[in-house]
Amino acid sequence: MRTIPVKLLIILCSVFLLNGCWDTKDINHRSLPIVMGVAMEDDQYNIHLQIPDPGTDTMQVRIVSETGETVSKAVDKLSADMESRIDLLHVKVIVIEKELAKEGGKDLISGFMRAREVSPKALVVVSDEEIESFFSNLNNTTDPQGTTLFDFFDKDAGWSPQIALTRVWEVYRSIHSFTRDVALPIIKSGDSTVIDHLGSAVIKNGRMVERIDEEETLLINAFHEESTHGKVEVMEEATVLIVGNTMDHKSRYIDQVPYLNSQLHLKVVLLETRGNPTDKEIRTSLETQLTNRFNEMFTKLQESKADVLGLGQYFREIPREELKKWRSEHYPKLKMEFEVHVVIRNEGQLKLGGD
Amino acid sequence: MDKSLHVVLMYLLVHLGLIFFLYPNDIISSSDEGQWLPIAIGLLFHFVLVWIYMKGLSFFPKQNIIHIYSEMGRGFAIFFLLPVFMYLMLVNIIGVRAYSEIITIIFLSNTPSWAIIILFLSISGYLAAKGVEVIFRTGILLALIFIPIIFFVSIASFQNVDWHYLFPLIDDDFHFMTTPSYMKSFSAFIGGFLFLGFTAPHLTYDRKKVLIAAALLIPFFVLAVYIPVLTFGQGTASRFMFPYIMTVDSTYINWLMFDRVTMFFILCLVTFIMLHLSLLLWMAYQIMNHWFPHQPFYSVLPFTIVIFITSIMIIDWKTVERLLWWNSFLQFYVLLTIPLSIYFIGRRRKGRT
Repeated sequence: MRTIPVKLLIILCSVFLLNGCWDTKDINHRSLPIVMGVAMEDDQYNIHLQIPDPGTDTMQVRIVSETGETVSKAVDKLSADMESRIDLLHVKVIVIEKELAKEGGKDLISGFMRAREVSPKALVVVSDEEIESFFSNLNNTTDPQGTTLFDFFDKDAGWSPQIALTRVWEVYRSIHSFTRDVALPIIKSGDSTVIDHLGSAVIKNGRMVERIDEEETLLINAFHEESTHGKVEVMEEATVLIVGNTMDHKSRYIDQVPYLNSQLHLKVVLLETRGNPTDKEIRTSLETQLTNRFNEMFTKLQESKADVLGLGQYFREIPREELKKWRSEHYPKLKMEFEVHVVIRNEGQLKLGGD
Repeated sequence: MDKSLHVVLMYLLVHLGLIFFLYPNDIISSSDEGQWLPIAIGLLFHFVLVWIYMKGLSFFPKQNIIHIYSEMGRGFAIFFLLPVFMYLMLVNIIGVRAYSEIITIIFLSNTPSWAIIILFLSISGYLAAKGVEVIFRTGILLALIFIPIIFFVSIASFQNVDWHYLFPLIDDDFHFMTTPSYMKSFSAFIGGFLFLGFTAPHLTYDRKKVLIAAALLIPFFVLAVYIPVLTFGQGTASRFMFPYIMTVDSTYINWLMFDRVTMFFILCLVTFIMLHLSLLLWMAYQIMNHWFPHQPFYSVLPFTIVIFITSIMIIDWKTVERLLWWNSFLQFYVLLTIPLSIYFIGRRRKGRT
């Protein structure tokens, strides 16, 4: 009998301990932004947040902005000014202004990784226009859900294979990696569509050093064996749809010179033809087109010493001390051989040369 | 009574709790390349010590190490059991403090650590006061519910692996042997098997099955280090406090309705850690009970109060790290002397009869 009060006491205590209501703020007292814009204005971060605001019947999207020495400071100021607390837990897209990207966002990214408030899975995007006008345009054209930007990059929604997808942790990794850089998509607000995709920014050690266009980004995605499924390629003879891609690499390291042979195997289906090209003509034409495009891009990348393709990964046998100098010494010397092999899987409902 | 399943599951849970938090960082910061070598050496220690310990214990059926030492004489018992008792208390204090801090770093950033410590201590203290059967039965329950989640998360964490990071495979010097972080990593390799000597006569087990459980743990020891290295590369992985947790955090599972799988993963591990703490408390009680026979409640309660006060006094993570480092010496002493002494006492006694 004596133990019953004790048990009751324990149960009561655990009610207080286990409910998890410590300093809790209910969900209606929280603001959960989904897009965060960061710009630099005379040594101050300028933060824009896009917050969906559920009303009784409709969803409204609010844009709030604030400046501060650090991101947390700006968010803290915003939190103080707003009637609810800002929780960055659900930020899905981080838009960085081009100027800041050029200056370098190393501390910014490290901060995101350290505080853990922003998920390391959030996407990083570069904005070609000023963050102020980008957000106001976004708000004018956006759908009531406020998820346009997120959907644009979602593989299950609006993503297409010529858009680079890079997350916070990947940017962080590239800052500290010897052999790897990243490409971030560049966007601006569009006229007829909400977002206009302009290609990718090449980020080296957290700093934007080069710009590549959409077609080149496609090759980077193909190189990383991201699916390029659904991309349409137009040539003089025909237009094809890519339905599959794989890569093969052979690396050699002879006399301090790295050699890499990469082969891209593409599977395509025929969409349109111009005139009467043969199967072989179409294949050669596509192969030369892609190879030339790749070589052009590669020369550009090699000049900027940014290893977006992660080619250093294929030379991990180089001792660690040497690998530290990969970008500055070995990468510019790299001899790259890029080959494309195309298979036309089918010709559609019509026979080739049948019309 | 043969309770091999209980013991095996407990063995797995205790080690899983130890593997995923501090151990990956210790190994990654101890060696720049070829991390499999330090892991292999640690595992070798693990297997050899567990084997010697169990072999030694098998000379004394139905006796735990307290009985064995006290048969040798009072001085003998104090000489061996007092360090064990100190070790158990120290591990408890550090464990409670470290894991409460880990929880605040990882997700409960607003909760004061004393609240988390009370939660840890009240649950594990309650289990410990109820006795060994309850602890082991809880172990079965936790294993049934949580091991599938651990398994799922481990597989999902392969998502961003780049196998090129595996190279270079060979680290030609053995400088990792002398780094403090490698010494600390041994708390995962050898910190979890002491309880095997305390369970008799309540529970008995098949030695072979425990060794199989130890073999099952090998992939986890390897993955906890290699998945972060393969995902981020050594250069980046060495910058993280909890590399494995970070890796789990960066996996993106589209079809899962939960955004952060990490939370499930961490909470599962936290329950394993609570179980481990209760086991440590119970072992400490057993030693106390041998010298001053009493009800478990009367020693578990003072223990938890002492642990609570001491761990509150540890104010920052730097102190926790320093304590972990100091503790690694005591740990080596205890976990080398106990298995070896039990083995030699057993051999001698066998020779005599």
